Amino acid sequence: MHHSEDNRAVSPFLPMFETFRAELDEHHDRRERVIKASRDITAASKKIIFSLQRARALKQQIPQGIQKANKQFYEIISAQYNAVSKDLQGLNAYRYSGQITGGNQEFMEAASFQHYLEKQSLISLEESRAKLRGLGGESGSLMLTLDDYLLGIFDMTGELMRFAITAMATNGELPGGESRSKSFPNAVNDINAGAIEIPAARLPQRNVLADLRQLRSCLEGLDVGGNGRLARDTEKKTEVMRICVDKVERALYGLIIRGRERPKGWLPMDEGGKQEVESY
Amino acid sequence: MAEENAGMVNPAIFEHLQLKIDEDTSIRDELREIVQTLEKQERSAQSILSRAHSTPTSQLQDVATAAEAAIRHEIESISRLSRTASNHPYYKYNATWTRQVQDACFTILLCGWLGGFASEAVPVNLKDRDAFHLTIEEYLQSLISLVDELARLARNSVTLGDYSRPLQISQFIKDLHAGFQILNLKNDSLRKRSDGIKYRVKEVEDVVYDLSLRNLVPKS
Repeated sequence: MHHSEDNRAVSPFLPMFETFRAELDEHHDRRERVIKASRDITAASKKIIFSLQRARALKQQIPQGIQKANKQFYEIISAQYNAVSKDLQGLNAYRYSGQITGGNQEFMEAASFQHYLEKQSLISLEESRAKLRGLGGESGSLMLTLDDYLLGIFDMTGELMRFAITAMATNGELPGGESRSKSFPNAVNDINAGAIEIPAARLPQRNVLADLRQLRSCLEGLDVGGNGRLARDTEKKTEVMRICVDKVERALYGLIIRGRERPKGWLPMDEGGKQEVESY
Repeated sequence: MAEENAGMVNPAIFEHLQLKIDEDTSIRDELREIVQTLEKQERSAQSILSRAHSTPTSQLQDVATAAEAAIRHEIESISRLSRTASNHPYYKYNATWTRQVQDACFTILLCGWLGGFASEAVPVNLKDRDAFHLTIEEYLQSLISLVDELARLARNSVTLGDYSRPLQISQFIKDLHAGFQILNLKNDSLRKRSDGIKYRVKEVEDVVYDLSLRNLVPKS
């Protein structure tokens, strides 16, 4: 049924498609490597965050035990970034930014949480970039996009929530401003003794909740534009962040209103309670 | 310390973030404006090209010539896009224009196939520097659009009494199909769309079969 006179055996376009094949194969391989590294970086960062949650104090060096435990995870992260750095140079930095963003965000979450525990302040974009830049190794520096940074910070609010609730459950108070709260050692007892007026000084100005609220207001104040990926991502994360702040506020309410009527470690919320069991 | 009571967030951090986000938004707006123009021009080129389905082969050159004029406007917009986009990392904003550039590329390919010019001034698959270009994926996407359109043209050629064009089309898309078959595509939109090529090949083969069955195939 075919007309053999123009039925060529070999397509004249094959050489062109062979070039395309080589290019696309190269592209897919690079993409796969970046995805894999991103996944490993994410996993190691999660483990770092998990250990950091064992810290109970603010504005202090991370306890030795936690530092020691985290060393191996930082090494994994460093090795992964180092290996994939060559795939993320020049034109390819943005080409695969969608593949590395998961790892970058989780790394940011860990880095910003650690920074907060140590300094009780928010790490800046430039400080974060400097941290990541060094991990690129010989192939060149690595890029942290504004989106990576910002979305990592959003996720970090969840860690602040967990940290605050754990501390409340174990120490009966919000971490932060410890030096000040020590001058009111009977604050909680006063409440339990029937003092109706809750002394304002009972809540130090700079505890985790105050920080969380400030961070929330800064993040909510940011105008990320009407459309685009960042707008979509931040919308979802804003909702989660609000819930986190809310949980801390509810936990604090319970702490204030019931004080030490209830056993140490007991939590008013199921979700929070589940977290607690894990951290004992 | 004043900083002690100021809170955890240094206000400068968020001022800087807002500044950067605003810069980014204005770049996107600028690109979007060009892309919208390109989209309009692409639609008008495509409406001219679609006349090919109802134009006898003898007058087809007129269609190609008219389409050429429309495509020159597209090329102007693409040059403008190229100048603006090359000031920024290519893949950062690629998503802003990729679909419209694919469509424009399709009109150029179709016009070329119909006998128009089809000369491009845009590099394909740039690797060594970060500037505007047409990616392989974008080019392949527009080839698939071309295959779809030619399958339709094969049937309509028969309606117009042109029995040799379907043979030409059949050979052409078979050759393209052979090319696509050697690619190792991942599970993405390119893969999904290229899976459709074999049905187009089959459709056009059916047209050729109908013609040959009735002895309508011109002797060459």
